[in-house]
Amino acid sequence: MESFQLLLEGFSTALTPVNLLYALVGVTLGTLVGVLPGIGPAMTVALLLPITFTVPPASAFIMFAGIYYGGMYGGSTTSILLNTPGESSSMITALEGNKMARRGRAAQALATAAIGSFVAGTIATALLVVAAPLVVDFAISFGPEDYFALAILAFTAISSVLSRSMVRGLASLGLGLVIGLVGIDEQTGQARLTLGIDQLLDGIDVVVVAVGLFALGEALYVASRLRHATPEVVPVGAAWMGRSDWGRSWKPWLRGTAFGFPFGALPGGGAEIPTFLSYATEKKLAKGVAKEEYGKGAIEGVAGPEAANNASAAGTLVPLLTLGLPTSATAAIMLAAFQQYGLQPGPQLFDHNPALVWGMIASLFIGNAMLLVLNLPLAPLWARVLRIPRPYLYAGIVMFAALGVYALKSSIVDLVVLFVLGLLGYAMRRFGLPIAPAVIGMILGPMAEIQLRRALAIGAGDVTVLVKSPIAATLLALAALALLTPLFRRLWARRHVEAVTPGSRVE
Amino acid sequence: MSSPYDDGAAPGGAVPPPAGGPSAGSPGEAKRHAWWRPELGLSLVVFVLGVLVIVGTLDVSAASSALGLGPRFFPILVGSALIVIGAFYTLDVLRGGRGDPEESEDIDADAPADWRSVGLVSGVFLAFTALLTTLGWIVASSLLFFGLSVTLGADNKVKAAIVAVVLGVVTYVAFVRGLGVTLPGGLLQGVI
Repeated sequence: MESFQLLLEGFSTALTPVNLLYALVGVTLGTLVGVLPGIGPAMTVALLLPITFTVPPASAFIMFAGIYYGGMYGGSTTSILLNTPGESSSMITALEGNKMARRGRAAQALATAAIGSFVAGTIATALLVVAAPLVVDFAISFGPEDYFALAILAFTAISSVLSRSMVRGLASLGLGLVIGLVGIDEQTGQARLTLGIDQLLDGIDVVVVAVGLFALGEALYVASRLRHATPEVVPVGAAWMGRSDWGRSWKPWLRGTAFGFPFGALPGGGAEIPTFLSYATEKKLAKGVAKEEYGKGAIEGVAGPEAANNASAAGTLVPLLTLGLPTSATAAIMLAAFQQYGLQPGPQLFDHNPALVWGMIASLFIGNAMLLVLNLPLAPLWARVLRIPRPYLYAGIVMFAALGVYALKSSIVDLVVLFVLGLLGYAMRRFGLPIAPAVIGMILGPMAEIQLRRALAIGAGDVTVLVKSPIAATLLALAALALLTPLFRRLWARRHVEAVTPGSRVE
Repeated sequence: MSSPYDDGAAPGGAVPPPAGGPSAGSPGEAKRHAWWRPELGLSLVVFVLGVLVIVGTLDVSAASSALGLGPRFFPILVGSALIVIGAFYTLDVLRGGRGDPEESEDIDADAPADWRSVGLVSGVFLAFTALLTTLGWIVASSLLFFGLSVTLGADNKVKAAIVAVVLGVVTYVAFVRGLGVTLPGGLLQGVI
C-alpha cells in the first residue's frame, strides 16, 4: 500500500515536537472559538486563518487541520448546553442533546458527542486515506472542460440543495461570482471592476469576504435584533458516560459515520442532510428505553448526528484535496488558505507536495485524539465560555475581524471593503440568503473562468468541446438535474399533499 | 427555464401579503406602498449589480489572443446570469415569496429591526477605519471595542473600558511581538 507508506511519512512530519505544538494550539483555538455562540465552523476558520500565515506551510496546515476539527467539536458543545438554534450542521444535535442536558445528563451528552466525533473522525479520516489516491488516479486525466463542468456542478448543487429557496441560493452564488471578478484578469492583465481603486487590483481577499459576510454580518444582524434575555447555560462537570451509554452509542456512531462521509464528499452534500438522516434513522430504529426517551433526550439522537457531522467534515476533504473542489463554505476558506501559499489542491498537489498533504492528513488523526483528551475534562471550562456577556462577545468578534483583515495587507481599503461586505452579509441573513454559495462562488469563480477559457481555446472556439468528454457531459447533466430539484420537490409535494396550502417552503 | 424559479408563491395566487406583517421591518412603509417589501431592495441590488458588471467591463479593451476569449467574456456571462436571477428573485418577492431570516444563538427572530443599533455599530466601525492609522491599533481598537460593547448593551461602562484597553494592548503585543504582524503604532508609537 503506497498511501500507507506515505501516511507513515506524514506522521513523521506531524509528530515532531514543534508540529505537535502547532496541532495543540490549533485544536485549542479551534474549540475555543467554535464554542463561542454565533460563530460556526466556517467563521472559526476564517477568523483564525490570518494567524497561520506567519508559520511555514507544513506547520500552518497542521495547525489548520486542528482548527477545522476543533471548530466542529466546539459547535456541538454550544448546541448541547445552549438551547438556541446555532449553525445548521449542529442544530440536529441540539434537538436531543439539549433535552438530555436539561434532564441532568449534560455530561453524557457531551461525552457521546466527543467520543462519537473521535470515532467518526478517525474512521472517516482513514476512509480519506483510502479514497484520496483513488480519486487522484481518476482525476489526473481531467481536462479543463472537466474542471469547468465540476465547478458548474458545485455551483448549482450548493445553490439548490443548501437553500430552501433556489432563487435565493443562486442570487447568493451570483454575488459571490461578482466579488471573484474584481481585480486583474490573470490571462490578459486587464483590470476589471476595480472602480479605479489601486488596492483592488489584486482582487478581494477571501479572508475579507468570509470575515465580512460571516463575522461583521453576524455582528450587525445581532445588533439589529439582539435577544435581550440572557441565554440559559446548562451547568456541567467533566464529560463522562457509563456502560449502558456506551452500549447505546456505538451503533449510532458507526451508522452516523456511514451517512456523513459520502455526503460530505459530494458537491452540495454538506453536513445538514446526513445529520438529519442519522437523526431520523436512529429514531426509527429506537427500541425500549430509547424509544421512550426519543424527543425527551435520547443519547442515540446525539451520538448519531454528531458522528455524521464529523464524518462529513472529513469527507469534505476528499474533493478539496484531490480536485481542489470546495463543497462547503469552510472548505472554500481552506482552499483559499492553500492558495495563500501558492499551492493549488488537486492531483498535482499529491505529486509535488506529498509531505505537506500527508503531514496534514496525519495531523487530522493526531488532532482528533487531542480533541478527545481536551474535551472530556474541559467541558466545564467551555460551559463557562458560553456565559460570556454578549456585548463583549460581539464587540470582540468585530475587533478580531478588523485585526485579521488589517493584518493581511495593512490596508485601510480592505477595512472599508470589509464593512461593505458586512452590510451585504447582514442583508443576506435578514432575508434568508445562504452565505455558503457566495463564498464558494467567489473562490471557485475565477478557477471556472480560467478552465472555461482554456477549454474553449483548445477547442478553437468550438463550444461543443465542453461536452465532448464523457466526464464533463455527465457532470453538466448532474448540474442541470440539481437546478431542477425544486421542480421535483414541488411535483412530489403536490402528489402527496393535494389540498393543503402550498408554499410551505416560504414559511 | 422559468419553472424552477417561480415556485414559492401559491399557485392559487392569492396569499394576501400580510400588510405590515410580522416580519416587515417598517410597518409604516408597508402601509404606504402595499406592494413594497424590504426584500425587494436586495433583489433589485442583485439585478442592478448584473447591469453594472456588464457596463463596468465595457471599457476593458479585449486584448484577446487569437483563439482564447477576452477578459470580457466571463463578466458578461456572470452579469447576464445576475440579471436573470435578479428578475426571478424580484418576481418571487412580489408574488409573496419570503426567505427565512437566519436563526442564530443570540438572535430574536421576531424582534423588530433595531436600526439605531445597526447605525451606531456602522458608525463606530467606520470611525475606527478612518482613525486607525492616526490613533494606532491600541487606541483605535480599544475605542472600537468600547463603542461596540456599549452600543450592544454593556451596562458597566467602566468594566467595558477596562476590558477594551486590556484587549487592545494584549492583541498588539501578541500580534506585533509574537506573530510579527504589522499594526500601526500611532499615538503610542515608541511607547510600547
